[in-house]
Amino acid sequence: MSDWITLTPRLALDGPIALSVHPERYAELAEHDIAALPAIGRDREQLPLGEMFTVKGGRSTRVRLEGATPHLHSVGAGMLWGELVVDGDLGSYAGAGIRGGTMHVRGTVGDAAGLAMMGGALRIDGDAGDRLGANIPGAAKGMSGGEIIVRGSAGADAGARLRRGLIVVSGDLLRDGGRSMIAGSIVVLGRCGENAGRGNKRGSIVACGGITVPATYRYATTYQPPHVRVTLTYLRRQYGLAIDQALIAASYRRYCGDAGEPGKGEILERVI
Amino acid sequence: MLIEDTFAEAFGMRAARLVITAKNEKWAREAALKLTGFATSVIACKCEAAIERELTPADTPDGRPGVSVLLFTMDSDGLGKRLIERIGQTVLTCPTTACFDGLPDLPDRVQSGRPIRTFGDKFQISKMLGGRRYWRVPVMEGEFLLAESFGMQRKAIAGGNFLILADTADAALEAAEAAVEAIKGMEGVILPFPGGIVRSGSKVGARGYKGMIASTNDAYCPTLRPLTTSALPDGVNSVLEIVLDGLDVAGITRAMRAGIDAACRPGVRQISAGNYGGKLGPYLFHLRQVMEGA
Repeated sequence: MSDWITLTPRLALDGPIALSVHPERYAELAEHDIAALPAIGRDREQLPLGEMFTVKGGRSTRVRLEGATPHLHSVGAGMLWGELVVDGDLGSYAGAGIRGGTMHVRGTVGDAAGLAMMGGALRIDGDAGDRLGANIPGAAKGMSGGEIIVRGSAGADAGARLRRGLIVVSGDLLRDGGRSMIAGSIVVLGRCGENAGRGNKRGSIVACGGITVPATYRYATTYQPPHVRVTLTYLRRQYGLAIDQALIAASYRRYCGDAGEPGKGEILERVI
Repeated sequence: MLIEDTFAEAFGMRAARLVITAKNEKWAREAALKLTGFATSVIACKCEAAIERELTPADTPDGRPGVSVLLFTMDSDGLGKRLIERIGQTVLTCPTTACFDGLPDLPDRVQSGRPIRTFGDKFQISKMLGGRRYWRVPVMEGEFLLAESFGMQRKAIAGGNFLILADTADAALEAAEAAVEAIKGMEGVILPFPGGIVRSGSKVGARGYKGMIASTNDAYCPTLRPLTTSALPDGVNSVLEIVLDGLDVAGITRAMRAGIDAACRPGVRQISAGNYGGKLGPYLFHLRQVMEGA
């Protein structure tokens, strides 16, 4: 039994690869058993993990993927529990459908990271692409649990049809964030892009760095929402985000919407 | 000074810890004082509760000043009901407060925040954070935030105690006050009686009245010395009791030791404890064993 299982590319990763990494499956497996698992999807073939990666360690649910590149897709998708740390950047579908455990990407991720996530935590130190924590195209519900923490910025359509859970973007969020969100929360420490919260039913968008509130939201009041205070305090303590006391104690304008829906959603715009 | 070779007899309870925060210490304390009012003994109050300690912003989930409160009941059902009544009437109503679970890691839960949310008349909003659900209840001031569920300590203990037998009433009170001061703020322990001190220790049942659950502990009443089988040594003219409730045996033991140590001062003749011959509760705190670590 080893503390960490380390996966290192044996050769240059120069084409798209769907890499299946499931820390929960490695708990009882020795090094050579892990290497023999079919885990690499390439050119319509399913290859064993050891074909392209050196595996070190076994019988652990803590996995470190070294030398990651944007050619690697679907890493961590469907993870149930355990811990996955990725050194480098990833392509699309990183952490899609995670049910539990923690995945920490020490780099950027492509589109659809945390897609339809159900639980656990996905931490991204760099930027994220479009459709962060969104729904599978055509699905009625998007993310239904867990937490996505992006230290950089995120692309368009983040949190589309969000049902439950928390998406935090430390940088800016591009357009259409929280589109048709059902519930859950999106916290943007930077600037929130256009058309945020369109079709929002009961979800919360907390805009700390500015937002153009859609005309279909109605102003309610200016106050200090206690749950924002708890959320920001939690993010600072749990994830070490650089959130100062002034932000935690700030006042917010509450807008209720979206008018075309039940109108129980909200945009909380920080008063600067 | 004599530490009598006897034991305090305590019994099992269910307990919850509430963390009440507010804009400042004043309002957190106001809510906590109301919440823990009339909660000295399960005999008539249905629960026992008191402030455990004051919390700094670093100790609370929302980074505001707070107070932690322990509340004890005889059963799980009662714990849920008492929390609903007391949070709903005292914390919900108090300006600027929020109410959090102080035992979040315990697997046994009482869902007391859930019924309180209905005060929001379907305008309430649920939020999940770190795997825990909170309710935002709209109120005239703004919003009241509370945890949906509270951890329940199944093996909590109530009835830890010791008696301070003194020359005079003043000496007994001074010693009891010193004991309370020594115990105050210790984690996992509360003193549910006024100022932490009991002057009317009780025995089970009554000599002269049927149906009484408890009546005066005549063996320790100085005024009854010639009329009953007195347990008072010569020269003792006043007795005060310190009653402790705690989340575990270790906490009560630690607190009893600190309290007895502080109570041993001039004017105090003996330290004793209340027990019922081992028939009431499974937890026996032998005074001399408790003091071995002092």
